[in-house]
Amino acid sequence: MKSKCFKIILGVCLVLFVAAMAQAAEPYNLGVDLAITGTGALYCKDGVDAITLAVKEINAKGGFLGKHPIKVSIRDTQTKPDVAVREARDLILRDKVRAILGTYSSACAVAIKPVAQEYKVLHIPAISNSENITKVNFSPYTYQVVPNSYMQAKAVVLGVAGLAKKKGWKNYITIASDYEWGRSTQNNTVALLKQYAPELTLKKEFWPALGETQFTSYITAIMSQKPDFVIGSLASKDNVAWNQQATAYGFFKKIPYPGSLISVSELIIQAKTLTRGLVGLCRAPFFAHLDVPMMANFVANFKNVYGRYPSDWAVMEYDAVYVLKQGIEKAGSIDTEKVKDALKGATVDTTRGQLFFRQIDNQLSCSSYIGVVADDPKYPFPIYHDLVEVKGPDSWRPEAEIEAARAGKAE
Amino acid sequence: MDTSMIFAQFMSGLSRGMMLFLIASGLSLIFGVMNILNFAHATLWLMGAYLCYSFWHLLQDYGFGLWLSIILAALALSAIGAVIEVVLIRRVYKRELPEQLLLTYALVLILGDLIKIFWGVEDKLITRPPLVAGPVFIFEVPFDSYFIFVICVGFAVAGGLWWFLKKTRYGHIIRAAVFSREMVSALGIPIPRIYTGVFALGIFIAGLAGAVQAPVGSITLGMDMAVIIQAFCVVVIGGFGSLLGTFVAAIIVGEVYAFSILFWPQGALVLIFVVTAFILIIRPWGLFGTPTRA
Repeated sequence: MKSKCFKIILGVCLVLFVAAMAQAAEPYNLGVDLAITGTGALYCKDGVDAITLAVKEINAKGGFLGKHPIKVSIRDTQTKPDVAVREARDLILRDKVRAILGTYSSACAVAIKPVAQEYKVLHIPAISNSENITKVNFSPYTYQVVPNSYMQAKAVVLGVAGLAKKKGWKNYITIASDYEWGRSTQNNTVALLKQYAPELTLKKEFWPALGETQFTSYITAIMSQKPDFVIGSLASKDNVAWNQQATAYGFFKKIPYPGSLISVSELIIQAKTLTRGLVGLCRAPFFAHLDVPMMANFVANFKNVYGRYPSDWAVMEYDAVYVLKQGIEKAGSIDTEKVKDALKGATVDTTRGQLFFRQIDNQLSCSSYIGVVADDPKYPFPIYHDLVEVKGPDSWRPEAEIEAARAGKAE
Repeated sequence: MDTSMIFAQFMSGLSRGMMLFLIASGLSLIFGVMNILNFAHATLWLMGAYLCYSFWHLLQDYGFGLWLSIILAALALSAIGAVIEVVLIRRVYKRELPEQLLLTYALVLILGDLIKIFWGVEDKLITRPPLVAGPVFIFEVPFDSYFIFVICVGFAVAGGLWWFLKKTRYGHIIRAAVFSREMVSALGIPIPRIYTGVFALGIFIAGLAGAVQAPVGSITLGMDMAVIIQAFCVVVIGGFGSLLGTFVAAIIVGEVYAFSILFWPQGALVLIFVVTAFILIIRPWGLFGTPTRA
């Protein structure tokens, strides 16, 4: 009898142990759909490295909830929407991922969004930032951890409107890459400038193709128009080529170029050639938040592992992983539905401080940053001086406009 | 609108045209002599840019570093081109065009992966030496000094190729081989060696073009696909196999692009394809090509 009892108890214990082991061993499959090649490769290398670092840190403590080790699958979108969709679908169906982090190129993000929604997989864009990712065709599975194009445009406009009044500027020209993000940013900037500085006239718009390598014809055409200032919306390698060639033309010394995207990537890669005194815009400069312990640790660890400073893109992808972690902790489960609901309106700790997701569009309340490019003895590259942080809630689109856009009453 | 504005736009169009000529001339030369449509030409051009970056990385501390890197990159790529011709291209001379295209497209994928393996996926940036880092003023119009160098290289390659093909014995043999391989072969001249030389020369120019392009912006994967279409437009407009045609067409494409940016920015790329389609309809063999090649 005793022996029979012992066997039953042993059997139950064994079943419980196996069940517990099975749960502990269940990995969290995390998909990364970034532009390893193509126009966005410059930014995405840092993004992949930051995700890898965050995953290593979390896995060192047992994974999500201390028991779900993260298994990462990284795919290359080649900066092409069709490839991004194909890879996202493959990540979901073959690798059984519960979340997809990404993406470079808003066109890719917009293309992935319905796929993630269809398969009920979380989608967290951390580089691409067209506001259309969250403004229209809303998906409850998409959470944006980067300041969107409207927020960035408004930050630029607030700065430029002040400068225009001070300097008596009357007209301007825009140059923007001819794709989703470029169009979205330029349209928002022009619309907001009409609102905040109605005295300004838009003289001309230039739309170089995404991937343009030679900007000389644009530079001479803009210079010949003699605008009071130029606003640019170019990114990644196009931005590097533009900056390099415009500098060689003496463009920045002749025409003010305030508020164009000059991320930490550009500050580092063009350390020798970037014109000092330029007024630039960026999305997540690490040096703005070194007082936040999470940022200080991240910068130290990133430097230790990769031997370089993290760019904006690294900061935001790192935050994306930790946002997901906090969503899972709040949900107490890795179940995607529960995590999605837990993130709704959630307040999260990021390297950029404590931020929250807005209920209506799942947009993180992250800031945009404007500053003057200047040398700094602490770094081997220029950083921003006189940095102005425009907070998310001060720059995002009013909720009424989003509702109107969704109802088809406005853009 | 003053003349200085027109002149500035003309110069930027000329520099763009010369960049296109450098890419397209090798493509046209190889097709003209060997009847091979090398789809991998732009990928080899990209490899030239990466090779230039590697040499520059070693030599950047020297004042002549960039200039020597450009030459070394072109020579290294030329050697790679010769190997490709001997190992692969030689086997498809007598095959149909689709088979040639398939082989050269496979080369695009293979070379693309090799670039990824050797140079990684990060963008590469070459810092220009001070001599070509700032503007020069021509009739008080600012112009990027590096593009003066680009224009000079374009004219030098055009002049050099013309001299080589028209004035040297080797050039005469190449031109003769275009019309009758059998006759040239019957004279005891080894056609395979001639073809290897021509292919290596075409790839040398591609390498030179890639290396010259390298300091213009960052070097990144995928640049080749963006440029191959415009290079084909140049060759189609000029006429396949015509050096003069390629030169004139490159300038036309560059200037059409530059001036449409000034007057109709949103239509710049469209106009190039409109011109290409127009030429294809009214003169399928191109401006300077011959009907037999159409």
